[in-house]
Amino acid sequence: MSLIPGLGIVRGMGVTLSKFFAPKATIMYPEQPADVAPKYRGRLQLLYDEWGTLKCETCFQCAQACPIECIDMGGIDTKGRFHVHWGPPETYGERREESAIRRSGRTVADPGFAHFEEIDLAALDEILAAHDYDPKDTLAILEETQAEYGYLPVAALKHISRMTGAWYAMLYGTASYYRHLRFEPPSVTTAPRAGEAHRADEAAYRSALDAALGGAASA
Amino acid sequence: MSALTRPWNNLTLVGKVILPLLFLVLVVGPIVTVLAAVYVAPLVVDILASNLGIVRFVVAITAILLFSIPAAFIIIYMELKVIAYMNTRVGPNRVGPGGSLHSVVAGLKVLLKEDFTPTSADAIVFTWAPVFVFLTAVMTFLVLPFGPGLYAQDLNIGLLYLFAVGGMTVVGLLIAGWSSFNKYSLLGGLRSAAQVVSYEIPLTLSVVGLILLAGTMSLNQIAENQSGGFWNWYVFRQPLGALIFFIAATAEANRTPFDLTEADSEIVAGFATEYSGMRFGFLFFAEYVNVFIISGLLTTLFFGAWNAPVPFPHIELSLDPGSLGIMLLILLAVVPLILTLLFALPFWLTQSRMPGWQALILGFLAFNVVAVGAVLGLAYVGFDWFAGLVWFMIKSFLFVFLFVWMRGTLPRVRIDHLMGFAWKWLLPASLLNLFITAIAIVVLKSTVIP
Amino acid sequence: MVTETPIGKIRSDDDPRVLLDEQIGSFEPVPPYPPRTERESEFYTLGDGEMFLNMGPQHPSTHGVLRVVLKISGENVVDLDPVLGYLHRGVEKLCENSDYHHIISQVDPLEYVSSLFCEWSPVMAFEKLLDVEVPRRAEYIRVLTGELLRVASHALFQGWMALDLGGLTPILYSFIERDEIVEMLASITGQRMLFNYFRIGGVNGDVNHEFMSRLGDWMSRAAKQHETSIGLLNENEIFVRRMRDIGRLDRDLALRMAVTGPNLRAAGVPYDLRRAHPYSVYPELEFDIPVRGTGPEGGDALDRYLLRLEEVKQSLRIIDQCLHNMPDGPVMAKLPRLLRPRPGRAWAAIEGPRGLYGTYAISDGTDQPFRMKIHDPSFVHLQLVVQLMRGNLIADTMAVMASLDPIMGGVDK
Repeated sequence: MSLIPGLGIVRGMGVTLSKFFAPKATIMYPEQPADVAPKYRGRLQLLYDEWGTLKCETCFQCAQACPIECIDMGGIDTKGRFHVHWGPPETYGERREESAIRRSGRTVADPGFAHFEEIDLAALDEILAAHDYDPKDTLAILEETQAEYGYLPVAALKHISRMTGAWYAMLYGTASYYRHLRFEPPSVTTAPRAGEAHRADEAAYRSALDAALGGAASA
Repeated sequence: MSALTRPWNNLTLVGKVILPLLFLVLVVGPIVTVLAAVYVAPLVVDILASNLGIVRFVVAITAILLFSIPAAFIIIYMELKVIAYMNTRVGPNRVGPGGSLHSVVAGLKVLLKEDFTPTSADAIVFTWAPVFVFLTAVMTFLVLPFGPGLYAQDLNIGLLYLFAVGGMTVVGLLIAGWSSFNKYSLLGGLRSAAQVVSYEIPLTLSVVGLILLAGTMSLNQIAENQSGGFWNWYVFRQPLGALIFFIAATAEANRTPFDLTEADSEIVAGFATEYSGMRFGFLFFAEYVNVFIISGLLTTLFFGAWNAPVPFPHIELSLDPGSLGIMLLILLAVVPLILTLLFALPFWLTQSRMPGWQALILGFLAFNVVAVGAVLGLAYVGFDWFAGLVWFMIKSFLFVFLFVWMRGTLPRVRIDHLMGFAWKWLLPASLLNLFITAIAIVVLKSTVIP
Repeated sequence: MVTETPIGKIRSDDDPRVLLDEQIGSFEPVPPYPPRTERESEFYTLGDGEMFLNMGPQHPSTHGVLRVVLKISGENVVDLDPVLGYLHRGVEKLCENSDYHHIISQVDPLEYVSSLFCEWSPVMAFEKLLDVEVPRRAEYIRVLTGELLRVASHALFQGWMALDLGGLTPILYSFIERDEIVEMLASITGQRMLFNYFRIGGVNGDVNHEFMSRLGDWMSRAAKQHETSIGLLNENEIFVRRMRDIGRLDRDLALRMAVTGPNLRAAGVPYDLRRAHPYSVYPELEFDIPVRGTGPEGGDALDRYLLRLEEVKQSLRIIDQCLHNMPDGPVMAKLPRLLRPRPGRAWAAIEGPRGLYGTYAISDGTDQPFRMKIHDPSFVHLQLVVQLMRGNLIADTMAVMASLDPIMGGVDK
């Protein structure tokens, strides 16, 4: 506070008067569009490549990464309703592969689901019940599932996803992260090795030997 | 019959409406006018002439009511624009050139809005409070001299009338706050009562010294006393009084920094919280009319009223258009044409790309500007009241600018500081001012004028 | 078809066919349940000549959606009771259900005027959980952007302070100042308000040319702009008289109520987390810790206001040093996409523009934290309103609240 009363007020009024003649900060918005930073993330848009086709491969990584789950791809939801649709439907018709939908954690439509191997889910249900359907126990569930089935069948992952509420993509990510989890049955060589072709006729050989040796071969 | 009906039937609907009207205007109108001019007019003029005071009063009241709304519009626009500029914004800029019609549109908007009364409000009082506030504001215009002879009533107790009517505003604000059935409104009303009543005293006392000096309470007389140059203004004889009057008048009009009654950061909108529609509009207009009134009062009392700061030598215009006779008509017809061509000529000669008609339009515009300037200049020189009005308006709006400027800068004072300031500082100061003035007058009269 | 209303009855506002016996009263601030504590029963009992005044949740100057029930006697505030929870979103719970990368954007809107600081403490806590070394360039960028935002936040505080006292203009100058900083940050973060810029193990993208040119432009006149904004109000008699001697916060009360940040330093305690528990690269930077209100009476609202202005100067110093000392290198540590910290717990705290922002996170080995607690300074400071405002005038309530500078987004979480 200054010594002479009122001097501070006068100084403040001087500031406002100098601003009265200063250039104005207003941006005339509709006429003068706002300056948007190149890294601006406020608007979602799909990019096109130089051939004019969509760069989006419907990998759903963006949808997974979005923390508030506002990103969605056009497609069929879990109840079979058609949802958000960006771009020409033909584009999506050919691009929306079942693998992408599966990666998004959604139920794959019937024709896509049909080719999954049907497995007996009773054992899996027991495992899930033992873990209280808790997605936090994902790793343990997956390990026990693998112990039960020998590998992680897609149908089992689907079932875990549906029962626990964890995204399929997360389950898939978790499973693919750990080396000891696998998606195929442990490799069993199916091509006959040398000499193995004869084993198919082993019973015939054996019975013939039995007949010849008088039962000594089977002992 | 058919000779008449066929053309009538051939007319369009618009024609059928316009044709009788044309008949009325062209035939009946002149006849009635002539008859009225011959028989009724003398009667009316007689009645009016015998009651000149009443006529003058009615005309003045009408003029004041008509003036107050545009004045409020101008001040609202000014406030929006000036504060915006001080905030380094551009302010309203969409309606009209530079947004100048913004406040008019805002006024229309207020008219169109729903006029809402709270369920538990005292409906009658709630409705009439804004009217009361507005009327008391407008009534103070009655004694304000805008120029030599430009006043509604030259009351010999004009100043007293001003304070009496101005003090009634608080009643309106108080009942507005009371009837709204809202705690914020109530607080606002009570604050306004406390504030306006407290500041009424220093406000009145600050001009007592001036009344002693002027020897009159008629505003017209006070204005005339200050003629002759800025050294005659009362602000130089009553600087302390002018300062106290300025501060107290700011508080009276509820302007920043004394706008506690509608302190938006504390009690939302004070007494106006529950108002909407035109009732809010009345409160709003009253506030800005009040701003103009205190600016006009400051001008009238302390800053020379309608007098120019430096007296110009009076030019006697010996123009008598009537002496030209028929030449006047010819001049009126010819001069615009010639001047338009004259003003268009430089555009046409210098701008080779400009087509002739554009040069003519520019020439016409230039002629208009010059002509309006010339007419205004002639009016300024020729009519005292016009010159006075110009100076009064310039000074008043400078003060309006000052009030707006203060609003743009200052924070609000607190209620206890406000009351303390009135009673502990302004009241003693105004009393001191009064004593000094009285002593000075006595001493000067006994020495200078024996 | 509205017929005449019988005498003694009124028609309901909602349905004009319904007749009511009593007039609809104003909204009662008294809660509909019986008092639960002694304090409540004492507060909601009116004395002689007292009345309740509901201030908020929709009020021009309660900084968002705070509701304060004032018990007033004329213009004097006898007692008051802040009511919280109008902006509650359950952010902590949201964080516990999203993975570590998502949390950054969940905590972003907590304190919407200085959102980088809300990101900073969780990110630091997760880095401790994961045992990640943050590149030094990333640390410098964090400090640089953080101090810029501190300047913006304090500028906005100055404007709000003036606005709550009835000054119209300073808030616009503050927003112009803030807008410049925010535009600057938008050029590297991509957003103007909720930056979402810090990442676990670094920051999202290096500083670019546009940022540096804007920053240099701004730095060349920041000090002068600061002086101008000081000249507008600091010596104004009305302003100073209103701010002086209200809301006195002394050292003992401040320590007892766990006040941090500028409010604590304005109460005479020179405690700044940047020096007391140094984090990031603050030990390498030179700056002072301004302290006010060291007397026995503590600091008032004016002290808190002036202290923040002094902090702005120190922040400008830090920004200058950051620009000169910034090393080259990567801005992001190498981390897997899916983060699974080992089970454990971590606490990280930083000094924000309002005080201590802290995060306590417990990991159970999955990709989501098991528990996450966010400490927000505004919430702590809001406890003070009852202590500081009692016995003041209604107008002072605004001034004291503004001087504590709470942000309701952080209070209600």
